[in-house]
Amino acid sequence: MALDEERLENVRMLRESAAAVADRSDLSRVRAQRFRQPGFDRAVWRQMGELGWLGLRLPEERGGAGLGMAELIALTEELGAALAPEPFISALMATDMLDGARLEAALTGEAVILAAWQEKPRQLDGEVETSFVDGRVSGRKLQVPMALGADAFAVTTPQGVAIVDAGDPGLSIEITPAQDGGHWGTLTFNGARGEPGRAPRESWLDEAVLATAATLLGIIDATLERTVDYLNVRQQFGVKIGTFQALQHRAVDLKQQALLTRASIEDAAAIMDEGQGPAAKAASSRAKARASDAALIVTRQAIQLHGGIGYTDEHDIGLFLRKAMVLAPSLGDSALHRRRFAQFQTQADAKEGLPA
Amino acid sequence: MSASRYTLDDYNALGDDDFRALVRDFLKECHPPELRNPVKRLHWDEAKPWYMELSRHGWLAPNWPKQYGGMGLSASKQLIYVEEFENFGAARTPDHGMMLFGPLLIRYGSEEQKAHFLPKILSGEHIWCQGYSEPNAGSDLASLRTQAVLDGDEWVINGQKTWTTLGGDADWIFMLVRTDPAAKKQEGISFLLVPMKSKGVSVKPIVNLDLQDEFSEVFFDDVRVPKANLVGELNKGWSMAKALLGFERIFLGSPRQSAHAFARLKGLAQHYGVWDDPIVRDRYNQLWLDLEDHKALYERFADILRRGETLGADVSLLKLNQSELYQRISEFMLQIAGEDGGRLEPVDGNADLHAPGIFLTARAATIYGGASEVQRNIIAKNVLRLP
Repeated sequence: MALDEERLENVRMLRESAAAVADRSDLSRVRAQRFRQPGFDRAVWRQMGELGWLGLRLPEERGGAGLGMAELIALTEELGAALAPEPFISALMATDMLDGARLEAALTGEAVILAAWQEKPRQLDGEVETSFVDGRVSGRKLQVPMALGADAFAVTTPQGVAIVDAGDPGLSIEITPAQDGGHWGTLTFNGARGEPGRAPRESWLDEAVLATAATLLGIIDATLERTVDYLNVRQQFGVKIGTFQALQHRAVDLKQQALLTRASIEDAAAIMDEGQGPAAKAASSRAKARASDAALIVTRQAIQLHGGIGYTDEHDIGLFLRKAMVLAPSLGDSALHRRRFAQFQTQADAKEGLPA
Repeated sequence: MSASRYTLDDYNALGDDDFRALVRDFLKECHPPELRNPVKRLHWDEAKPWYMELSRHGWLAPNWPKQYGGMGLSASKQLIYVEEFENFGAARTPDHGMMLFGPLLIRYGSEEQKAHFLPKILSGEHIWCQGYSEPNAGSDLASLRTQAVLDGDEWVINGQKTWTTLGGDADWIFMLVRTDPAAKKQEGISFLLVPMKSKGVSVKPIVNLDLQDEFSEVFFDDVRVPKANLVGELNKGWSMAKALLGFERIFLGSPRQSAHAFARLKGLAQHYGVWDDPIVRDRYNQLWLDLEDHKALYERFADILRRGETLGADVSLLKLNQSELYQRISEFMLQIAGEDGGRLEPVDGNADLHAPGIFLTARAATIYGGASEVQRNIIAKNVLRLP
């Protein structure tokens, strides 16, 4: 299941360009955007467009790059490690539902168009009720990240996708500040004017789930790197605290979680690149369950291993915990994904004729 | 060896799928049905028919080169061989000769030693055991004290080995002995070959926590062997032993034990009427997910071997993860069994429902092959580069 040379090269290039856009070693930009509106950088957004990231999964005939999940997870992992505040995954979900001039503006990064799909807390699959009748949208959507920075929203309804401008008088946006310094929007549509969009690909939601898991993987690895560096520097009782076996073993447990998360996510990407169906859904849920739990374990232990300095807002390690607190439950928490994994894996095994 | 349709000149010329099919057919046709999925490690008298069948087809030593009578399998074909044997539930034979001693001799032994010993392993004439651990040298193996002193043309050995697998069944032991007491502890160790029937060798079985007797203590009291029984260079035994750790380390991290225990979980929960309990189900799903993630991790390391590269120190994480997952599953089984978790014998004689047996067996996994604590020390130093 190893990637061929061409795809390895894609992954290498994506990682390199990601490092240039979002630097994992310097979080001053991230700090500057915290608790401000819209909370992310339009210049960075346009850069993302120029690099072709916003259409990464979109087929070439639709103006996208037509790359696979292995490439997407490499990119979102890097963005996670740098704690990039841009609502990249939500925009990626939206491009799947756009056409024509809207799509073009979204792909170049001129416009920020975000997906509005969730209607209940802890919702992933399942029915939505927002209506789209005679060009008018009514209903409520939750958890749209960085909604204040959006120019428009791609809204899922049983009647198909509707594209609604952010400034439409029939749309009101309520903001909830989040722990990572960003926010999410609750969108209330009251006869807002909508243009028809297009139905997203079947794998659309699972791709966003896995991309979020990979963002958490980036957070996990960056947190671990910083923590191990700290153990190698900080001195107490006259020695580096990294010489203490209790701390060494705790750090190893975190490394174990990091490796398992990577194995789970890269395995899921390979399965999803092979095709859709219950096995792919099971794999994305398995990876998200692992990543959500592992990210909270690693980031909270990192605070403990940093001691007092880790409890200050001044030190960067806390930024990783706060980001994990937002992303771990986003697009389904670990309990939801464990259930979903079992459900779809049972279907996948039955399809292959394995005993349940 | 009488050749069969399973005896090929070059197994590596087969595609992976064809080779896998060949292994499956071989097991279906040749493995004694009554030895499938044994509940304990088989002794030599029990495993002998299967050993001789493997020998007859030239399938005993997948890891040895063809020229020495092995199958000469590439790393990726070896993995397939092991995977299929595990999936089938093939009985493990006394395999220290093939797995550990053969590769040692092929790499470090003299031509005379190879010509003398290797064919006798393949024919079943010599069964080997391994003499590494001692009462005061377990996790800290390099502090071993069993001593060999040269007296004319003979080594004189005194000391004790322990945790010797199937020691009572073996004809020979390959052992680490201290040959230079003055040197730094890793530098005064050598490899010696000793017949178990030598005067002064005595074996005492160890009854383990699960009341099985596959391990033993081996005592050496002025045991004399010829000088020529030294393998490789004098005082270089430690680095030789370390160099042989490659394939065994991934073997200890294979998902087989966890998968074996997990496969019994659902039936157990159904037997005890708790399968539909949502708390039981969430825990079950968590362990299922843990097992799938472990398999994905295992595949990453297997891929490294398939590419012909060497494993790094991080393979310790694989062993650590497997053994701890195996224990978590076994602990959940014990919990599901309720009062029967205290039963000595299986319910209705059904070993699949015997949670306490699996629970006790699993205790050893975090101790042997480098205890979890030692693995964590290794990873902290060599992977995380902590001071």
